[in-house]
Amino acid sequence: MASLTDPDALLDEHKPDAGRTGAAPAVQLRAITRVFGVAPALVRVDLRVEAGEVLLLRGPNGAGKSTLLGVIATAISPTYGSGTVFGLDLVAGRDEIRRRSELVGHRTRLYEDLSATENLRFVCALHGADERRVDPALERVGLAPVAGDRVRGYSQGMRQRVALARAFLRSPDLLLLDEPYAGLDDPAKDLVDEEIRATRARGGTVIVATHDPTRGSAATRSLYMDGGRLLPELRRAAR
Amino acid sequence: MSALGQALAIAKKDLRIEVRGRHVAGTILPFAGTLLIAFGLSLGPGRSLLRQTAPGLLWLAVLFASVLAFRQAYQAEGEDGAFESLILAPIDKASVFLGKAAAVVVELLALEAVVVGLVVVLFDLPVGHAPVVLAGAFVLGTIGLAVVGSLFGALAEMPRTREAIFPLLVLPLCTPVLVAGVKATELATTGPAGQAGSWLGLLLAFDVVVTGVGSLLFVYLVED
Repeated sequence: MASLTDPDALLDEHKPDAGRTGAAPAVQLRAITRVFGVAPALVRVDLRVEAGEVLLLRGPNGAGKSTLLGVIATAISPTYGSGTVFGLDLVAGRDEIRRRSELVGHRTRLYEDLSATENLRFVCALHGADERRVDPALERVGLAPVAGDRVRGYSQGMRQRVALARAFLRSPDLLLLDEPYAGLDDPAKDLVDEEIRATRARGGTVIVATHDPTRGSAATRSLYMDGGRLLPELRRAAR
Repeated sequence: MSALGQALAIAKKDLRIEVRGRHVAGTILPFAGTLLIAFGLSLGPGRSLLRQTAPGLLWLAVLFASVLAFRQAYQAEGEDGAFESLILAPIDKASVFLGKAAAVVVELLALEAVVVGLVVVLFDLPVGHAPVVLAGAFVLGTIGLAVVGSLFGALAEMPRTREAIFPLLVLPLCTPVLVAGVKATELATTGPAGQAGSWLGLLLAFDVVVTGVGSLLFVYLVED
């Protein structure tokens, strides 16, 4: 256990191989840097997340949380550094990583002129998931009565619920949630927490980036991001 | 699901969005119709001149309509970040390229049926002379336009690229389709249709090459 008075020792806790051995971690990043134009969004990020962990990422806007989740989801390539997800290389193992993970991001990634049901059926077609899971997933997020309506007429909160239902369809091994509570009412926020716990219960791993200080009770560990760098939450508190 | 099945799912989704949104019927068809009427009025009542220029004007209308159709097809992907969903899906990215091209082929062929009707009425173009050759020219030419548009349409939706890049890339690359399409249409309507074979062959070769190259290159265009 790192000393609370030694920030560098605390940092070592999320460096690769910091006192951990055994099976491949769910996520392992080594010196990941991502630069957009001339602006670095991530600076030499080292991170190790074990299978079954629920990691909470906190930090201000522009801290690099979304970019970090994008790199892990293989939506964004690192400029420098390397990493693995389930032991698979971020570039060479991209397809398998995508098969086993789900990113629920800021944008809901829905087609406005399709209904919620049609959107989710299309997701099933792309991912080879069972279409029979669509109706129960929409039922679970409380959208069954309007499942046949076009998404164009939905509120932002309803769209977020459909995006959440998409995660329910696939039971991914790695669930990446980027501000999942934004725009949701309390019952829907509870659904997010429920899904986080369910993913962990079946041995899956969850990484949540959120501003919401009232959420995160399911987390097993939290880290703070600022200026594209990762800091342990405890170090932030000690500052 | 096979790559072909994935491409069909993407095409079906795009066509469903088109049927709901009626973008081709509501925006692109009036544009093509206005273009033809404007040219018809500017050329005057001389039947011979109208007939001679009709194939070129017809293909110009189809070309501009195809640019609009592709912008529309990819705009639906960009509205709420849906394109990221396609990229992150564990599918062969060539199926995205082929699926979007297939949907636009169907949309453009429907549009062309109406536009050809307009040209027959406005320009007195005889389409009954060699209908199979004429249909072949439109089907092959439309596939050519669709694969070029599908390949580069994705670029306009990428972050950090400009929308203006799309016509700049697509229009020059479509020149062989335009030239061969006009010549084949001209021969199928007012000329010796038997001589259209080489132009149809050029269109077929263009389709095969661009479809093959596009299937291989698309993944490099869309991945970060």
